[in-house]
Amino acid sequence: MNNVYLPTVAQLVNVCDETPDTKTFTLRFREQGNGNHFHFLPGQFFELSVFGYGEAPFCIASSPTRPDTFEATVRRTGQLTDALHRLGNGEEVGVRGPFGNGFDVEAARGKDLLFVAGGIGLPPLRSLIWNVLDEREKFGKVTILYGARTPTDLVYQQELQEWAKRPDVEFHVTVDVADASWKGNVGVVPILFEKTTLHPESTLAYVCGPPVMIRFVVRDLFVRGFKDEAVISTLERMMQCGIGKCNHCAIGHRYVCRDGPVFNYSQIKELIE
Amino acid sequence: MQPITLTLQKRDGTQWLEKLLSLGEVIAPVHGSGEDVIFSTPACADAVLWDFVNPLHPPKRIVLPQTDPLVKIKHNGQGHEVEPIYDDAPRILFNARSCDAKGIAFLTRMHEMEPADESYLRRALRLTVISLACTAPCPLGFCVCTNSGPFLSDGYDVQLTDLGENYLVEVASQKGHATVSCAPNLFRPATESEIAQRKRLEAEAKNHFGEETCHFASAMRRVSTGRVSDALWQRISDWCLECGACNFVCPTCYCFSVKDLGRNGGWVRCRMWDSCQYSAFTLEASGHNPRPERKERMKRRFFHKVSAQYYQRDAMVGCVGCGRCIKACLGTTSMPAVVSAIRKGKWNE
Repeated sequence: MNNVYLPTVAQLVNVCDETPDTKTFTLRFREQGNGNHFHFLPGQFFELSVFGYGEAPFCIASSPTRPDTFEATVRRTGQLTDALHRLGNGEEVGVRGPFGNGFDVEAARGKDLLFVAGGIGLPPLRSLIWNVLDEREKFGKVTILYGARTPTDLVYQQELQEWAKRPDVEFHVTVDVADASWKGNVGVVPILFEKTTLHPESTLAYVCGPPVMIRFVVRDLFVRGFKDEAVISTLERMMQCGIGKCNHCAIGHRYVCRDGPVFNYSQIKELIE
Repeated sequence: MQPITLTLQKRDGTQWLEKLLSLGEVIAPVHGSGEDVIFSTPACADAVLWDFVNPLHPPKRIVLPQTDPLVKIKHNGQGHEVEPIYDDAPRILFNARSCDAKGIAFLTRMHEMEPADESYLRRALRLTVISLACTAPCPLGFCVCTNSGPFLSDGYDVQLTDLGENYLVEVASQKGHATVSCAPNLFRPATESEIAQRKRLEAEAKNHFGEETCHFASAMRRVSTGRVSDALWQRISDWCLECGACNFVCPTCYCFSVKDLGRNGGWVRCRMWDSCQYSAFTLEASGHNPRPERKERMKRRFFHKVSAQYYQRDAMVGCVGCGRCIKACLGTTSMPAVVSAIRKGKWNE
């Protein structure tokens, strides 16, 4: 029996500013080696401790195809994330996990993949996106649609440019409100559906973002002929234990931390309480 | 081991307790301040109560302390050290009522589910539960509706029954056996007539339950299929003050949060009781709250306790019929009141 609450000490090996209130933290276990690697699937999450402040759940933003380190992209929005944002390279945090089911990468093989993300909803999809791009030949057409409130709220700006340039990726980005330097699309994420041709019968759609964006995007996907099973999202709840015991993330008798956080819409419709 | 049934003369009860007090920590019903009866460590064998109304606070905290240290965190100048904290001291819970014994059995089953919770289990596995069967129902109890009393058929290590001159001593486990084998001269095998008397007392006790009943079956059907109207949840939750008392006095409630507390220049990561009735229970740092309204939290509490989905998982409703929520509720949203409202589709104001 392992102690399910015991964190493993990890070090921050890189801290990178994404937006004025969001940073990406790159972690590596302090005692790397001895099989002490972090094995995870895209879409899984972990509990990150800032010692003295407690722990909170974050999705893993990096791909398992790059296993040396792992990343979390975190908006500064509360006590723990405030404390995390004050930490720099070499400083220590605690890690428990990975938890949850993750995306079914095998099921996506050979399929066309559509990623639709809003704001800080890109990190969990980024894990799957890089997994797919690192094994590009296994998958069909890859389309990425991304939107944020303003140009400064776009995360992973360098990677967005990289995706835009790749011939094997169709990438569109929009902002709700432009600034003087913005030359691109203006409007909410669903306007990007007009820029691309969708093939609902052969495509899996991965949607992540704020609840209001998800509502409109999913409605549009259904109108365009997507089936419930082909629309996949990750749910956000305040997971505390990560193992289905504390009840913070319960929906009916399901637990987002254990049965999720990844659900397709057919499963989401069955979550009742 | 095979269950065995013994007899203890009442006047030897104190002598037995003295022996048990020398074995390890004993927690039993004793007088607190004022009129209170509490579960605590008795100062001496004579302080243990044999005839008492069940304390308002269940003995749940023995296995699940309100603040339960899980991990020690220290900075040694170079880096952080983390170390699990375990409490595996042997303890005896003495004269627990049937409902409370069943509550602890419920909690242990939950924590045994994969992945097992070692912090809880180490403590629970060293606990010996000696229960005292209820030959008369308590004023607010409805354990007969939850199959958790007045007598138990499982969920105890030793079950005592007051037979008048003697106590019948049913020993069901190895841990239970250790508590009688330490004082072998005090016990003799029970006679057929003593066992028959126990059965009679159980039947009589069941016949004496008063008005407090709780019909779970039809409420379960409605809760499990989402057939309780939003308007009814709203009506019910009008009578909840969101104090969390129902959760904290409940022998089966275990929802918790994890927090770091500063200790001796380091920190102790603790599991702390939390309440599903608090709006902050589901509040996320982003400000998003999946259950912003009281009626949604009320619905959640009763889904967890009464739904067929959880009944299937836990093999019982999340209630042991102790009636504490009736006493503790500042409003009127106790288990029997809400179950009755769900069943009738109407809130009785």
